[in-house]
Amino acid sequence: MEEKIMAILNNICGAEEGELEPDLDLFESGLLDSFGVVQLMVELEEQLGVVLDIATLTREEIATPALIAGRVQKEKSV
Amino acid sequence: MTPYNGLLFFYILGLLLLPAIVTGLLEKPLKHYGLLFTAILLGLVFSENGQLMALAVFYIWQIALCFLFLRIPNKTRLKLRLAIALSLVPLAAVKIGEILPVSHVFQLLGVSYMTFRSVQVLIDIHDGKLKELRLLDLSYFLLFFPSVASGPIDRYRRFSSDLNRKPSRAEYTEMLRRGIWKLMFGAFFCFVLSGLIWHSWLQPLPERGLLAAVSYMYGYTFYLFFNFAGYSSMAIGTAYILGISLPENFRMPFLSVDMKDFWSRWHISLSTWLRDYVYSRFVMDSLKKKRFRGKRTASYIGYILTMMTMGIWHGPTPAYLLYGAYHALLMCVNEALDLHWKPFRKIKQQGWSQVIMVVVTFHLFSFGLLIFSGRLF
Repeated sequence: MEEKIMAILNNICGAEEGELEPDLDLFESGLLDSFGVVQLMVELEEQLGVVLDIATLTREEIATPALIAGRVQKEKSV
Repeated sequence: MTPYNGLLFFYILGLLLLPAIVTGLLEKPLKHYGLLFTAILLGLVFSENGQLMALAVFYIWQIALCFLFLRIPNKTRLKLRLAIALSLVPLAAVKIGEILPVSHVFQLLGVSYMTFRSVQVLIDIHDGKLKELRLLDLSYFLLFFPSVASGPIDRYRRFSSDLNRKPSRAEYTEMLRRGIWKLMFGAFFCFVLSGLIWHSWLQPLPERGLLAAVSYMYGYTFYLFFNFAGYSSMAIGTAYILGISLPENFRMPFLSVDMKDFWSRWHISLSTWLRDYVYSRFVMDSLKKKRFRGKRTASYIGYILTMMTMGIWHGPTPAYLLYGAYHALLMCVNEALDLHWKPFRKIKQQGWSQVIMVVVTFHLFSFGLLIFSGRLF
């Protein structure tokens, strides 16, 4: 599943495979913006069946690929 | 008596906060005293300005709407829109009343901010994020005194979790310390700095003339910042003493490198509310339904919708509508530059070009405030 998340992020951020390091701050590096966050939510829901609450998630909680993957795992295990 | 204005108000505020402080230090829950505190202050302020009946009607209207909506079995999007429209009726009545040449209008202090609270609850109910409502918690959230007149804008679930937490003495002492600091800091900004700017800079300016307008632009920007940030700080400080951590509203806005950055630093609780409940919802819906052919069209239209909402929420006057449209344009330009001008990111991040961007953004925003102030009309 981690691979799928990375693939989704690569697609949204316009990055090559392996370009996104797990601890890279996507917002600070300008790779992810408000639109990208919505795209991410849509893809996570459609491809992985995971629904994250965009209204309560802070940017700090989904700033890096590692944090996003962690959040998705947490949601899936609930 | 207007909130956070005048020695009498602060005297009463101080007196009424004392039982809260004792309660908090004794590690007892603050919910019930907090509700009493809100009721007393609302009673004082709204009976003095003759709007107590209007407040009561507003409260019953919104509470009934929320509970009724919760009970509806099949919560379709149409029903949500209807519920939101009904929730907006008091706000619309007040704002339209402000521009009509009628003597007897429906007025209600804080209607703009309280409406955000009920609309947000309705949306959360529709989304299935709120499956039950407690009358006490919801009432407290809807009427919460410190932020009733000018925000910051909070969210029900976050507020509710603060309400029902029992802070330890150490935790409460920290909140008390922060609360007192915020109150004093806010008072300094609001009464000293913004007051000085008003009396020494803005008031003596002639009403017409280009140079006066330019001076007014700068002065008004600083005046509004110190006034609003100070007020927000006092509201947040009071809330801390009541055990509630309201969201921050300002974060060094004059250091913004572009307009998107700006809206993450100025009236933050408003922009995040609009981002979460207008922009993101519209974009998500558009993406899921594949509404537009262009990849980012939804984003542009989302920004226009969001900023126009921001404008009209202030009021249906030319100044506010133009202000919304102006910011809609700026956000679209920002988005276009982010997407299509490769050097833009580096320019915003490094050296002298960053300084220039800060200065440019400041001026863009200031000009917007000049529109907002109504001076150009």
